[in-house]
Amino acid sequence: MSTTTKRVSALIAVAVVGAVALTGCGAGSRTGNANATEVTCDYTAPDSATTVNVLAYNSSAIDPFTDTMVSSCTKDDVTVKHDPIDFGGQVTKTTATLAGDTGTYDIIETYGFVIPGLATDEKLVPLDDLFDKYADDYGLNDISESMRQGMSYDGQLYALPMQAQMFVMAYRADVFEELGLDVPTTFPEMMEAAEAIKAAGLMEYPIALPWLATADVSTSFQATMNSLGADFVNEGGDVTLDTPEAQEALEAMMALMPYMDPQVTTFDQPTVQQQMYNGTAAMSIMFSGRMNDLTLETNSQLADTFDFAAPPKVSDEAEYAYDRLSIDGWSIPFNTKLDHDMLFVMMASAVSEDASKASVPAAYPAREGMVTAENSPYGEAANESIAAAMPPIVSPVLADITNEIRPILVEVLTGSTTVEDGMARMQAAAEAIAG
Amino acid sequence: MTLTDEALSTRAITTADIEGKGRRPRGRRKPPVVTGILLGILCLLMLAPFIWMTLSVTKPTNVAFANPPVYWGYEPTFQAFVNLWETTYFSDYLVNTLVVAVVSTIIALIIGIPAAYALSRFPNYISALLLVLALIFRALPRFAVVLPMYDITRALGIYDTTFALAIALVAINQPFTIWLLRNFFAEIPRELDEAAMIDGCTRIGMLRRVMIPLMGPGILTAGIFVFLFAFQEYLTALVLTDTSSKTVPVFIATQLGQTLPMLQQAGAASILLTIPVILIAFVAQKYLVAGLSDGAVKG
Amino acid sequence: MKAREFWILFAPSFLVMGGLLVIPLVRTIQWSFESVRYGTPGTFVGLDNFADALTDPRFGQAALFTIIVTVITTAILLVLGYVVATGIDRLTKSRPLVLGIMLVSYVLPNLVGAVAFSWLVNDNFGGIVNRFIGLITGTQVLWFTEQVPNAILIIANTVWHMLPFAMLIILAGLQGVPVELREAATIDGASPLQTHLHVIIPTIRGVLGFVTLISIMDVLRMFDNLIPLSPQAAAIGNESIMLYVYSVAFADGAQQLGLGSAINVLTILLILVMLTPFIRGIFKEAKVAR
Repeated sequence: MSTTTKRVSALIAVAVVGAVALTGCGAGSRTGNANATEVTCDYTAPDSATTVNVLAYNSSAIDPFTDTMVSSCTKDDVTVKHDPIDFGGQVTKTTATLAGDTGTYDIIETYGFVIPGLATDEKLVPLDDLFDKYADDYGLNDISESMRQGMSYDGQLYALPMQAQMFVMAYRADVFEELGLDVPTTFPEMMEAAEAIKAAGLMEYPIALPWLATADVSTSFQATMNSLGADFVNEGGDVTLDTPEAQEALEAMMALMPYMDPQVTTFDQPTVQQQMYNGTAAMSIMFSGRMNDLTLETNSQLADTFDFAAPPKVSDEAEYAYDRLSIDGWSIPFNTKLDHDMLFVMMASAVSEDASKASVPAAYPAREGMVTAENSPYGEAANESIAAAMPPIVSPVLADITNEIRPILVEVLTGSTTVEDGMARMQAAAEAIAG
Repeated sequence: MTLTDEALSTRAITTADIEGKGRRPRGRRKPPVVTGILLGILCLLMLAPFIWMTLSVTKPTNVAFANPPVYWGYEPTFQAFVNLWETTYFSDYLVNTLVVAVVSTIIALIIGIPAAYALSRFPNYISALLLVLALIFRALPRFAVVLPMYDITRALGIYDTTFALAIALVAINQPFTIWLLRNFFAEIPRELDEAAMIDGCTRIGMLRRVMIPLMGPGILTAGIFVFLFAFQEYLTALVLTDTSSKTVPVFIATQLGQTLPMLQQAGAASILLTIPVILIAFVAQKYLVAGLSDGAVKG
Repeated sequence: MKAREFWILFAPSFLVMGGLLVIPLVRTIQWSFESVRYGTPGTFVGLDNFADALTDPRFGQAALFTIIVTVITTAILLVLGYVVATGIDRLTKSRPLVLGIMLVSYVLPNLVGAVAFSWLVNDNFGGIVNRFIGLITGTQVLWFTEQVPNAILIIANTVWHMLPFAMLIILAGLQGVPVELREAATIDGASPLQTHLHVIIPTIRGVLGFVTLISIMDVLRMFDNLIPLSPQAAAIGNESIMLYVYSVAFADGAQQLGLGSAINVLTILLILVMLTPFIRGIFKEAKVAR
């Protein structure tokens, strides 16, 4: 072989050996999450070596619970494995793993929005018996009753709540103080503040909202309608997308657009965070799980200038705030081959009192009274937000309706369709699904 | 004039020619200054994305993605690489990627070499037909093949294994592999075959003892290409892997659109993935060039 | 070589390709006539999926976008590849270095290259491209929300990725141009441009044809680079056909395998149509070479 060949082979060999050798060096050990901790995780281990695969997307709010689970429940022959994944990936993999008789994952992260649909399709294991069995050991009765309700369907509990997320408004306290502005409590007040900031030449687009055209924008539309006391369907299950509330919501969203970056329909929450980090925007409204990142100096040099408040209402007359309440929890898929008791203990340990305490302020745990103004920079805002949110309407078709109307919503916002046309089309598309 | 035009192939084009060591036109040549400068700018532009990524990954997180960009005045750090190694299963993904690449290369060559030899020595309509089929298969939208593979691997229980992914890649890259190898084999005169077989070798024995040693560079070229394709593969890996056999490109894609430290880790993973590949590009340049040029010129 | 020997040598490869390429392909065709989800047998629906696909404006937009990008990218690759190859042809000592540098963008995984590209143009995350554009023209380009800038971005990335390939092949072709031919043209008084247009390019027509062929084949199937570069692909009409298939048949929990397969079949037909001239050419040569 020529020298080149030898060289190439040597390089490849070194790379392979190197990679294999370094595999042991503390890889994947999950050290260093400041909001995770080690708790008791007392399950009966199966006889043979087992891997428990956990499906949970990465976020500053979910990671503490996931990391606690991984580090506390991995012992002896049992390995708890969590692969990083983004939210879109989690949605894809949830459907994929629940599709057949065998799946890849043994514990999956679920949230209130999808529980009705999954429960109806019998994809999740009801947890009531397991809950009663382990309630005392892991203090599960301290988990907020209303959140447990939010993760139940038809009288059965389908997920163990770990945390709640609600909209919180983050704003540049220094800019507001400098211009003598009050914290906005309605959309019009937000726009006034934005005007003042623009006039002062500080920022061109002072408002940033996550309006990603393939995901978040529909959440924002729903929150706007919620503020006006309505949703995509009503209690009776009828589609309500051609109502005056829907029209007002669409118009309110469009009124905000001149104050937001023209590329706002590409903004997911990390991008909105980036707008705040860079000082490109002065006000943003996101889920509470994104708030802790804003306070970390490692993320931005503006970290100590941010302050938090409850989200505003759409208008003075609106009954509720522009808000969505999302409960995140752990579920057992119907097709896992592992012992349900063991899995439930792992889930319970991840939401135990110590784990929940450690997760503050990165997350808002589902246990009563954990978050206060003292232990979390956005604690007061979060509590006010929960109080001001509309009680959710539960329906198994909401998730599918949302997917269908989203492209039409984007067309309305970008001006490709009129409000009236858009509403009519959304109504028709949603009715086709609601049946 | 077509791909197999006589005028083009009378003088076999070797990599030495492409590297500039072959016949050169007569006459004194001035050093091409303007060309050199323009090419220099082009090289810079070609490397720019990679350079920018390296810079972003070695900045502290709070300035890495700052707008307006921060060009100096910060302390470079390797924290992203450390985080990548310690808090994710990156080493596993790297091993998976390497295993898949090596296994698919070995298998691809083992089955590809005899096939390519046979195609080069069997002048027949069938041979041309098979080549055309190879061309068509290379052009196929990959999902047409990969989605059924997803179904099949799940049914067989080999979903999410490096083995399944490696075999899938062998099959997907076979058309290109035998196409490339066939061109190399075609260069070796048939008289050699006859001579070896007169001495009593069987066809297969001759293949092993005479052809393959002669074909060393060609085989290496094909091997490097298959290795590279497997290394770079995203679409097939996305569909056929989940947790146990995830490869680095799939991992990188999951880090996009996440928190800033994770974004930096994606960049760090990209760079770690890229360095061996760039080394191959420089060290094995000759073979890559030979493979690309021979594929074209000798039809 | 006897037929028996041929098939013995060719068998393993044939089996692998047959089993892992042909059978899945047959499955895809079968699925395209069914309504089916993973893991469950499907129900026959005749040509419904094809009707759905052909009447779906999103598919039409995806096909249109993919074809336009393919044509433009191929044209740029041919011209730029030729120019760069000519330039490198003049170098002697620095040639290995330049070739090595040029190869980097080709050996990088497509996804990685696209991620690096996206960081450069995303000014929300510190990308410098818009800064320069702002300095020169004073306006901002919306690379991710507007269709045309996004298409330009995708074309630029694809050209960046495939230029080394095109350039190397054309360089090889240039080596085959007989020196005497070039000198004869110069003696006859042709300018460099005329030499290129009327002498060199006709001589390497075969090579240029090859580059066109591979370029069309590869760009028609683009997928990897759209993930980081065009997160809004569907909304702005910049989806490629493969991306559309992915979102229909796999992503976000969608499981419309039948529809996805129908689109795959239609794409195969499209590729066959676009490849017909080349296939005919190869068959003709094969006949001639008998």
